[in-house]
Amino acid sequence: MKQLQNKLRIVISTIILITGIKAISFAQDSIVAPVLLDIKYFVSDRQAPYLIVKTKIKKERKFLPVKDITVVVFLNEKSNTSTLGKIITNEKGEGKIIIPVSFKSTWDSSSEFTFKATSEPVGKTEALTAEVVIKKAKLVLDTLNEDGVRSIRITSLEKNGSEWKPVKGVEVKIMVKRLLGDLPIGDEESYTTDSSGQIIAQFKRDSLPGDINGNLVLLAKTEDNDLYGNLLIEKNCKWGKPLQDNNDAFNSRTLWGAHFKTPFWLLGIAYSIIIGVWGIIIFLVVQIFKIKKLGA
Amino acid sequence: MENSTSITSEIITNDLLPQKFGKLGMIWTGVLIAFCLVGAFAYYLQLKNCLSVTAMRDYVSWGIYISNFVFFVAISLVGSLITAVFRLANVKWSTPLTRIAEIIAVSAILFASLIIIVDMGRPERLFNLFLYGRLKSPIMWDVIVIGTYLFLSLLLLYFPLLPDLKILMGSRKGSTKKYNKLYHFLGSFWKGGRLQNMLNKRAVNVLCVTIIPVAFCIHTVTSWLFATTYRPGWDSTNFGAYFISGAFLVGAGGVLIAMYIFRKAYNLEKYITEKHFDKMGRIVVLLALLYLYFNVNEYLVPAFKMKKSEDAHLTQLFAGDYAPIFWFAILAGMIIPILILIFKKGRKPLPALIAGILVVVGAWFKRYLIVTPTLLHPFLPMTDVPENYKHYFPSWQEWAIAMGSLAGALLIITFFARVFPIIPIQETINEQHETTAK
Repeated sequence: MKQLQNKLRIVISTIILITGIKAISFAQDSIVAPVLLDIKYFVSDRQAPYLIVKTKIKKERKFLPVKDITVVVFLNEKSNTSTLGKIITNEKGEGKIIIPVSFKSTWDSSSEFTFKATSEPVGKTEALTAEVVIKKAKLVLDTLNEDGVRSIRITSLEKNGSEWKPVKGVEVKIMVKRLLGDLPIGDEESYTTDSSGQIIAQFKRDSLPGDINGNLVLLAKTEDNDLYGNLLIEKNCKWGKPLQDNNDAFNSRTLWGAHFKTPFWLLGIAYSIIIGVWGIIIFLVVQIFKIKKLGA
Repeated sequence: MENSTSITSEIITNDLLPQKFGKLGMIWTGVLIAFCLVGAFAYYLQLKNCLSVTAMRDYVSWGIYISNFVFFVAISLVGSLITAVFRLANVKWSTPLTRIAEIIAVSAILFASLIIIVDMGRPERLFNLFLYGRLKSPIMWDVIVIGTYLFLSLLLLYFPLLPDLKILMGSRKGSTKKYNKLYHFLGSFWKGGRLQNMLNKRAVNVLCVTIIPVAFCIHTVTSWLFATTYRPGWDSTNFGAYFISGAFLVGAGGVLIAMYIFRKAYNLEKYITEKHFDKMGRIVVLLALLYLYFNVNEYLVPAFKMKKSEDAHLTQLFAGDYAPIFWFAILAGMIIPILILIFKKGRKPLPALIAGILVVVGAWFKRYLIVTPTLLHPFLPMTDVPENYKHYFPSWQEWAIAMGSLAGALLIITFFARVFPIIPIQETINEQHETTAK
């Protein structure tokens, strides 16, 4: 009897516990989560530095984008003269601001910046603010080929006054650019710079197809680094397998050939049918004229 | 006997001569013109602002314009079924239906050609198709075969009309007098002599033999526009036969509707009898069963294997967003018409009309289902595209143009019936003579 009572207690406690947990989670979901504003800094060797502003909301344990939020971004302080730009977030909840050329002198004169993003309250969305402090830094990518072993050397440099100094402990991803995404150059997902601010990583993608000249695009990047943001460097190198010129396929008489390169068999069939049927049509039109002549 | 025959001929002629529009006819024509004008305005907006006014984007690049095109091509096949197949098979009862079928075919194929131009973002570049057209492309085959079929359909409409033109010119009825110039232009040379009749008969026979393979080609090639494109739902070797069976069904459904309307509007009960509804009803049942059979093949086999790439497409059709339209198209377009028309009472004019409407409406939605859901399920996942690329619902301009084109096709049929006899007069008289002689 006592055993039965104990079992009953366990069952009831379990039910209460599960119901309680569910109730708490439902309660959490039912609370309207605030809209979150985020700002990220990007710099690459091939384009001007830019910022991505993102607005999102947590709903059913997922982050969903919030569109149509107007965000103003400032450099260092909130004032009209330091306004970098104004964007309205798109369907992905994102907006991009390229740092204007007019800020070049400010940009060159300092090595540390604060980006401030603000938005006015709209409807149910309250005023939002976000801030990110960035130290100016860059990556340098060199290709090495020693005794047939191909390697990539990455140097991470931080601007200190007017000098660029190597920094250690920066996590860098080294990849090859492909059509549908970036491919790591070796087995490692990412590498960390040593005390000299360098990484030497072996390139293990020897048989990778490149463009018609065998060019591959190598790239190194930091992702959401707390100090430096998102740094990117790209470099072309002839480490790929040259793509075979397949113009022959288009210049021969195939179904996928260029204009006027229709296969003879298709031309024969198509023109036989066209001539046959239109021959009959001409015959029928002639019959109309014959009938007309008879009635004249 | 001769006297009674001549009286009969006179009655037939009087009954079948085109009649002026009544009040209902005027309203009907007005509504159709209004639809056409709205469609034309929508097309003007499309020309002005390009295809951005449509809901078509990178993935769904064939929307209701192409669904409409396939529908028009399908319904146009009825000309070859009723006129050519029945004529060659010496089926006499179909005589009152031949011209109805032919004018449906001509108007449908004409608008099939036009809707393709509407679907082009830059219609002024149409001539490039002829300058730089590639004979390797099924699109080019379609252009050639549609042009050929249109020409053949016009001839098939014209040759049997010649004897009637003589009757129309001789008529003193007010409703036809004002079109005398047109009748003269088209057939003033027709005297009805033995040689003329012989040449005419020979031409019609040659046309009937020619138009059947061309009709098969037109819809087979249209089906190949899809089947030669590697996509879930289109990757089928069965598409040609599947499309042709569906085309004959919708065409026959269209004839059922037209039969009922012309019979009521022009008091043609003596000529389009309950016997005709009974026989056409049986044909629709046969064609619906055939099309249902092809549908089972088209959907059951891939659903049994449920390949990953087909999964999302089929699930959407069977139980997803498109399920209501899918099941409506199957039930309304095939199963319910079979259930109505399989019974003798169901082949009476009114139930047959209802069945015909169900077939045609179901067929229009079926074409929509063939075109659109497939495009929303490409083999490679949709990544990094705006949200509206992932869905398709036609914009009001697309609806207006599509409905305008349907109204345009109906308007051609309406005006044709106003100017020319919708039932061949001379053939009916000849048949009457033959029956009386027996």
